[in-house]
Amino acid sequence: MTRALSLISVFVRVSVQNFAAYRFEFFVRMFVSVGHLLAELLAVQTIFKNTPEIRGWQKEHMLVLVGVFRMIAGGIRMVIVPNMRRVMEDIRNGTLDYVLLKPLDAQFHVSIREFVIWRVTDLVLGGSLAIYGSYLTLHTVPFDKFILFILMMVAAFTIVYAIWLALAAICFWLIRLENIEMLFWNVFEAGRFPVQIYPAWLQTGLTYIFPLAFIVTFPAASLLGISGKGITPTMPAIAFLVGLIAIILASMLFRIGLRRYAGASA
Amino acid sequence: MMAAMRALGAHLRAHLAVMMQYRGEVLLWSVWGIVNPAVLYAMWSAAAESSGSHEIASYDRAGLAAYFLVMMIVGHATGAWDVYQMGHFVRTGVLSPMLLHPVLPMWRSLAENIAYKVVTLMFVIPIWIGFAWLVGPAFKATAWEYLLGTIALFLGAALAYLLSYAISLIAFWAPKLDALGEIYFALCMFLGGRFVPIAALPDSIAGLARVMPFRWMYQFPTELLIGGRVGFRDTLIGLGLQIVWLTFSFVLFRTLWFAGLKRYTAVSG
Repeated sequence: MTRALSLISVFVRVSVQNFAAYRFEFFVRMFVSVGHLLAELLAVQTIFKNTPEIRGWQKEHMLVLVGVFRMIAGGIRMVIVPNMRRVMEDIRNGTLDYVLLKPLDAQFHVSIREFVIWRVTDLVLGGSLAIYGSYLTLHTVPFDKFILFILMMVAAFTIVYAIWLALAAICFWLIRLENIEMLFWNVFEAGRFPVQIYPAWLQTGLTYIFPLAFIVTFPAASLLGISGKGITPTMPAIAFLVGLIAIILASMLFRIGLRRYAGASA
Repeated sequence: MMAAMRALGAHLRAHLAVMMQYRGEVLLWSVWGIVNPAVLYAMWSAAAESSGSHEIASYDRAGLAAYFLVMMIVGHATGAWDVYQMGHFVRTGVLSPMLLHPVLPMWRSLAENIAYKVVTLMFVIPIWIGFAWLVGPAFKATAWEYLLGTIALFLGAALAYLLSYAISLIAFWAPKLDALGEIYFALCMFLGGRFVPIAALPDSIAGLARVMPFRWMYQFPTELLIGGRVGFRDTLIGLGLQIVWLTFSFVLFRTLWFAGLKRYTAVSG
């Protein structure tokens, strides 16, 4: 465990150094992050100009959801996307050999090689917006809700990581499919809004088949602490269970795929 | 011009073959153009339920279904991605070999664009039909509106392609501006009526949308094809303004292209 942590810290340090070499980039990127957020706020403004609420979600609630969506989208692009894109490329090019040569668990190693540090802005901006929306709703941010929210976010990132790992593992079979990640982005798009807007059959699908509800809607609802948005006291437990199942299945798929991998010479 | 047309034909055949080869990938890209309007339909129809009048910008549920269904089709016809790529082309010099061809690189990109849209039709048409069956859209268009709407759709697609290509040329001056594509996309989304009919936007943004070119690419052909929304006089004015903006985009393209090329030699030198 300490070895794993120290390895992660080494890779993070390298990423920070790379990032520090291009500081001007950071300001450009921050401008882009703020732009994204403004566009999302304009969307919220437009929605609630036309209606007081959508399926029980009012404007302040939606601010929390937008904030959570930005945090998840930013977190994915900070840690998951750079690493998973690289492993997919390694599988296609045969350069995964270099990973397999290292005395380290392959799945662990491919998951921590790169971090896009400036994406922290998404976490900070999104987090601030979520807290602000929660404050507008409840006039305080209760400590227990906050802890619940953190737990739900941990579960959400676990699920997202598992989905991406599974997509990367699929590359062992479908080597030619270069933009397989579009599978994720196409469904993730549906998470911009609470799952309650969808018809019941689709809600079920987005909860248990592709657990988008656990990735965006439920973490947002947990910070609001409002029942009737699919959040029950047992929800964090279910979220962790879904995360656990997802990660076990994804690692299994990755390991089976790894056995198919024939290296650069193939 | 003849040479350009022959080149377009040759590039078109080549790109059709490439697209067929990579149909799996192409399918995954094209699905996004379905998901986004479908999600927006779900959201706005849910919003209409609690809006008092049960309408959004005078569209009821079935009206919204028609709006976002047609927007899928219009979005497919107007898709263009040069504005995302040009920065990369300029920065890495990928543009250089393209400049050696006896015709403008735009013809090659146009051929790729058309090939993509033709090949992906076979995936998206069944999904459009499925979506229509699921949501039950209400159409009121007469034969005339279908005819003029189809003309407006093609003019809008031409305008979307040419204007976004012209804007992509900003890359000659700012090759590292990766956000250019995203900014352009956001403008189309809000000012074009892809997110919601313009009348539903906050007043200041709606005012801006009315004087910008984007509504003529998206909302105008969409509303014509739904029918009963645009009067005959407004239709003619709209078609006229599409041509005005198309001419504007052409002039903008010519100006930026030749000014940019002078800079480009300096960049790569």
